[in-house]
Amino acid sequence: MAASCLAVPKNNEMSAQQTHQTIKNAYNAQVKQKSDKLMNYFLPSFFVVGLLLAIFYDTWPVAIGVGSLSLLAYYSVKLFLPRSDTYQYIVSLVFGIFMAQFIYQMHGLFEMHFVAFIGSAILITYQNWKLQLPLALLVIVHHATFGYLQYIGYDKIYFTQLDYMTLQTFIIHGILATVVFFICGLWAWQLKRLNERQIELTYEMGRYQEEQFHQKILLRSNEELKKSNKELDSFVYSVSHDLRAPLSSMLGVIGLCEMGNQDAFMQKNISLLKSSIKKLDGFIIDILDYSRNSRLGVKRQEIHFNELLADISNNLKFMGADEQRKVEIRIMVHNGVAFHSDQSRLSIILNNLISNSIRYQNPEVSNPFVDISVQVSEAAADILVRDNGVGIDRENQEKVFNMFYRVSNKSVGSGLGLYIVKETVEKLNGMIKLESQPGKGTELKIRLPNLVN
Amino acid sequence: MDYKYKYVMVIDDNQIDLYIAEMVMTTTQFAEKVICVSSAREALAYLEPLDEKPDELPGLIFLDINMPEMTGFDFLNEYQHLPENIRKKCIIMMLTTSLDENDRKQAEDNQFVKRFLNKPLDRDKIAQLT
Repeated sequence: MAASCLAVPKNNEMSAQQTHQTIKNAYNAQVKQKSDKLMNYFLPSFFVVGLLLAIFYDTWPVAIGVGSLSLLAYYSVKLFLPRSDTYQYIVSLVFGIFMAQFIYQMHGLFEMHFVAFIGSAILITYQNWKLQLPLALLVIVHHATFGYLQYIGYDKIYFTQLDYMTLQTFIIHGILATVVFFICGLWAWQLKRLNERQIELTYEMGRYQEEQFHQKILLRSNEELKKSNKELDSFVYSVSHDLRAPLSSMLGVIGLCEMGNQDAFMQKNISLLKSSIKKLDGFIIDILDYSRNSRLGVKRQEIHFNELLADISNNLKFMGADEQRKVEIRIMVHNGVAFHSDQSRLSIILNNLISNSIRYQNPEVSNPFVDISVQVSEAAADILVRDNGVGIDRENQEKVFNMFYRVSNKSVGSGLGLYIVKETVEKLNGMIKLESQPGKGTELKIRLPNLVN
Repeated sequence: MDYKYKYVMVIDDNQIDLYIAEMVMTTTQFAEKVICVSSAREALAYLEPLDEKPDELPGLIFLDINMPEMTGFDFLNEYQHLPENIRKKCIIMMLTTSLDENDRKQAEDNQFVKRFLNKPLDRDKIAQLT
């Protein structure tokens, strides 16, 4: 008994991307936080270095004034624009200013130019190549103006200790600085890219593991479902047998009584007993059909309508109360192509419809009949069951498919028949339509898809 | 009196159903003697020694499916190992309350089973067999 398998739910791509972005953002925030923390050490250290350098040439006002202005600029921007990255660009500028400050403080000591490179290296921590730009720009502007000023003889700015700097030296100086800024920018960019790739991989891995986990759970619950379905099926099988076996024994014994008794009064009582037991048995069968239809998966096999209908009408030969006449069952099957569907479900549908036609035959008509015509095509089978029975009032036609609905007190069924038919047709992805005229008869049209693939 | 069968065997764990089958078949003169056994094992024990006396073999066997210890299908599995003399003589009919599609299919697919009947056995069904 195959339980219908649950489909693996597809992860929503949109929300997956959002989660992905969230993780990236969280990571970037972490990088930012750590780098900011480092700046809290570096910037004051630069300030302190300025103070130490002041000892050499007594440049205290510059060390304290420029240094504290730089720190003030940084911390105030960071305080007022905490969400934007502006303060990081300020850091970049501040490194440039410290370089200029230190060069000045050491009266043009050439090695002080390296401070710019230290700043450039420190900036890598933010993993943003653009942060190199303000520093580079400041260095260019500083070198150009101060170099020019010193060149024209204004020597109080202490740009260099050299009396004269050739253009060649200046160009090499510029190229080397550019290379440093470029490489530091490149490292920042690459670091960022590598980390993003790492996040992506980790994220994919996590998602994969999660998917595997869900798959496992799904498989297990599917197994459990299959098992409990199987157990339920064998339970229903035994219960139906144990309930129905005594009923059939009763019917058998009643049959014996009928054979041995000619008394009209007893015969009448016996037939009442019999119809009562048949009703109970029919009820059990209905419940069984219902439970099977709702639990079991759809099986697919080739349907031979002629055989199936012959079987059903043969089984229904002895149906109906004794006072009822035999109903003529006419079968017409046009099956040019093979039809595939679930045989036992089809059997439930046809059995119910044909027995309804027998049960609700019209005593007024001389030739009670039920016409069953089947038209098979590549796509579907159209089944038409038409009788000249009592029919159904217009206002009740909607309700006949309801569970436990019975049209009148005279109805002898369980009130489940057409409900089960509807449920079963739906399980086979089909459609059912009822047309009926009281006194004229009832017509049920069913279309079932050909489950050929 | 003209009986259709001299011996008919019914295998069923339910005593009432055995009684019904016996009464229906004897009163309709379908069988002269109905051999009632209440288990598949008992049936096999009865049939096996009759290899020598084929005249006493039942011409028809009604077999229930749902029985404790050995089901009707278990009986059929054992039955195929019986001597051909026995198998040639006996026709097997399933007689059960089961409406299960699998039971019906399994019975119809079995080479020894002639028909699949639903209980109870009554006059009309017997009439169909004659």
